Amino acid sequence: MMLQSIMTQFLSGFSVVAILVIAAIGLAIVFGVAGVINMAHGEFIMVGAYTAAVVGKLGGNTFIAMPVAFIVVGLLGLVIERGIVQWIYDRPLETLLATWGVGIILQTVMKLIFGPELYYAGAPKILNGGFHLIGRLPFPYYRLFLIIVAALMLGLVFFVIFKTDFGLKVRAVRRNRAIAGCLGIDTARVDMMIFVFGSGLAGVAGAVLAPIKSVSTTMGFPYAVDSFMVLVLGGVGNLLGVLAGGAVIGEAETVLSFIFNNVIGQLLVFLFIVIVIRIVPRGIFGYYERR
Amino acid sequence: MAALLEVTGLTTKVSGFTILNGLDLSVDEHELRVLLGPNGAGKTTLIAMITGQFKPVSGTIRFAGQDITGWAPDAIFQTGISRKFQVPNMYETLSVFDNVMVSLRGRRRVFATLFQLLRAPERDRIWDILEFVGLADKANDPADTLSHGERQWLELSMLIASDPKLLLLDEPTTGMTESDKHRTAELIQEIAKSHTVLLVEHDMHIVRQIGKRITVLHQGQRLAEGPLAEVMSNDLVRQVYLGKGKFQ
Amino acid sequence: MVRDKAGKPAGKPRRSIRRAPLFPFWAVIGGAALVASIGAYPYYSTNIYVLTLLGKFLCYAIFALSIDLIWGFTGILSLGQAVYFGLGAYMVALSLKLNYALTHPTRFGNKIPDFMEWNSLTQVPGFMTPLYSTPLAIAAALVVPTLLALLFGAITFKRHIYGVYCAVITLAESLILQNFIIEYQAYTGGFNGITDYSNYVGPSVLWFILGVTVLFVIVARVLTHSRVGTVLKSIRDNDLRAEFMGYNVANYRIFVFCVSAFMAAAAGGMYAAWVGIISFLNVGPIFSIEGVIWTAVGGRGTLIGPVIGTFLVKGAEAFLSDRLADWWQIIVGALFILVVLVMRDGIVGTVMEWVQQRRRGSYRQILADADRTAHDLQMDWRTEGAPRPGEEVR
Repeated sequence: MMLQSIMTQFLSGFSVVAILVIAAIGLAIVFGVAGVINMAHGEFIMVGAYTAAVVGKLGGNTFIAMPVAFIVVGLLGLVIERGIVQWIYDRPLETLLATWGVGIILQTVMKLIFGPELYYAGAPKILNGGFHLIGRLPFPYYRLFLIIVAALMLGLVFFVIFKTDFGLKVRAVRRNRAIAGCLGIDTARVDMMIFVFGSGLAGVAGAVLAPIKSVSTTMGFPYAVDSFMVLVLGGVGNLLGVLAGGAVIGEAETVLSFIFNNVIGQLLVFLFIVIVIRIVPRGIFGYYERR
Repeated sequence: MAALLEVTGLTTKVSGFTILNGLDLSVDEHELRVLLGPNGAGKTTLIAMITGQFKPVSGTIRFAGQDITGWAPDAIFQTGISRKFQVPNMYETLSVFDNVMVSLRGRRRVFATLFQLLRAPERDRIWDILEFVGLADKANDPADTLSHGERQWLELSMLIASDPKLLLLDEPTTGMTESDKHRTAELIQEIAKSHTVLLVEHDMHIVRQIGKRITVLHQGQRLAEGPLAEVMSNDLVRQVYLGKGKFQ
Repeated sequence: MVRDKAGKPAGKPRRSIRRAPLFPFWAVIGGAALVASIGAYPYYSTNIYVLTLLGKFLCYAIFALSIDLIWGFTGILSLGQAVYFGLGAYMVALSLKLNYALTHPTRFGNKIPDFMEWNSLTQVPGFMTPLYSTPLAIAAALVVPTLLALLFGAITFKRHIYGVYCAVITLAESLILQNFIIEYQAYTGGFNGITDYSNYVGPSVLWFILGVTVLFVIVARVLTHSRVGTVLKSIRDNDLRAEFMGYNVANYRIFVFCVSAFMAAAAGGMYAAWVGIISFLNVGPIFSIEGVIWTAVGGRGTLIGPVIGTFLVKGAEAFLSDRLADWWQIIVGALFILVVLVMRDGIVGTVMEWVQQRRRGSYRQILADADRTAHDLQMDWRTEGAPRPGEEVR
């Protein structure tokens, strides 16, 4: 019986994996290319979620909210990149601090605009309800939708990075920034575009994740920390890393939280990550830089 | 006389590329050996391997009779090997004097340095070294205010302070003006009188000025070895370096 | 400096090292003034509120000092320093609470802390009984966090995990401990924290905290002024060079990390005893990052900077946050951005830079720099009549 329960948890964990991938992918590409961690990533997601709530109030649904959030948060990312981040690419630790400040400001501003109460962004009616997976496990359609969105986002990023001209430049800058600059690639512009792209993806994440729980100004931080862990474990600079990190953390947390409780699950996953990092310091799929 | 440094069959892969391929090399004590080779031949990688930056796939490195293959960099330092990096590496916010002071051979463990005071003989030694390289008047300046040539000399003086048996110098004259290069070559010659030096260089004028015995690397293996004139008249070396042309 | 034609200094230069003294005159005077004004406070005012703030701020200042040791001097950014502060605080608070419960039994007559009873515990758990003894509790509050830091350091630093990765991992560590404390409320008081125990407030306690603060500042100064301090700075500047110069970088990082954790734990313990209430907020990432900002505002790498920064920021918060409400948070956020973009050296750091500039004499410095560049380029840039090197500049 226990084993079957664990199995069902494992299957339902797929949607957790999807959530992690969706949340982390925006951060992954920015960190992978520019080496900076955006501590306001959680707040970007939060803004995307509020966008979805507003879109919902205006009569739209999640499908409309996704591109709208992409644009809104993308623009936000542009402002922050131009105003703050572009001056401190060479100091990643300080980018952490500065973006944390941005996060605080965003949280407070959103609270001033929307007030401290919770918002609800409902899922589109078409996705209501669910089906039954393996007899006993109810599997909401929305979770399936999340899995699809995660796959689509991975696919989109893969397409952009590997099949477009822009992606070629990104890969060049990633590999060897100095030479890429010498070859005429405007590395500053690449950094900017990648930051905007990543921010937009965070916005989409927010729009898609909004219906799961309620929308509040502090909802972003746990997603941010989860994204960091996905990157640390899975490795940077590689899409497989996001998938691997998300998969391992998502499944481990779901199953372990079921066996023990949420907090112990978190702790065990954290310990597991630390152990893995000891063996592979740059993550499962990260590459070890030549010092 | 057994060689001070003996590299046997060293093979290394970095990021999937085989950089060193069964390399053999030996350097005798008190030698000044010059390492030549086109870009990508593996010169810097060899130095990195000797100092413990990477672990080899196969092969051994022996120093003063000890097998140091796979040791950690700080342990290898203790055996008496010091490395100069291609790009001048120093402690930017520390003063010139402190840069050298921290590099003096001596206590390295945490609790040993806890109450360590600078003694007079050590202080004199630091000043001697600084005067030798010509940085004595800048002793109190932070290292990041030095010009490029001076930074190379600072790192050189840090190496001298560490009192090694073997100095690994990776292109110490890069980016220097002509007169500075001359000066550096003189310094290295002076150092080589009492230490063993393995020097990687590109500038043939320097090599001609101080090089006695040359080893040429190519694609991770030893291509040729011998006195300068002999190596330079080697057809294989000429081909590898210059294509089929005349060597001036 | 007189130079000959080749640009080399003529005559033998004097061999003198210019070193900052261990306790500079201005620091001693300024520090004494600060200590006196804080210590004398109970005598010229009876405002309990401000008195409490002073004690709190001193504990926060030690916290910031501990962050400066690892960040300002060694280059490790830990976003989870509150873990050590909080552990120290919780141990002391638990000890005080347990002892308080002995003389203040609950409604049902149990001599156990109220939050334990609310969670259906009838007895104090076995592993907590050592905390009844005050000396043991103090020892635990200091030793356990330090051991945890040792463990953490051994795991991360030995594997050369630092920089952004270390920051993120410490952040997660802090968050997990916070969640743990909230979850296991039977043992920790959960969301409400530990409250209602006999706390120690009063002039003599203030002086004790003040004394400990001064002691830690002195210890930190001696440490960073010593050879170890120079090695730590060299690791901060270029850990690659340090490692290849024979220093076991990991060991040094672990050492300073443990010292820092010890200080933070001491600060936390005193805080718990002074304030009388602690909760998960003292353990989590938000408090950790706050400590970082006080250090940055004051000036990292200066030791006194973090102390001043703490008082400034926390003091401003005490006076402004009521009036400004949410806008205060926006100011805090802007402070983070400003400190990184504009005021990189912090207040004390900027002042020190300014003093150094004036001492060197900027115009002379510009000429000297130009000389150096010209020497490199082998050009003589001076036009007829321009001052030569060594000539007096009017």
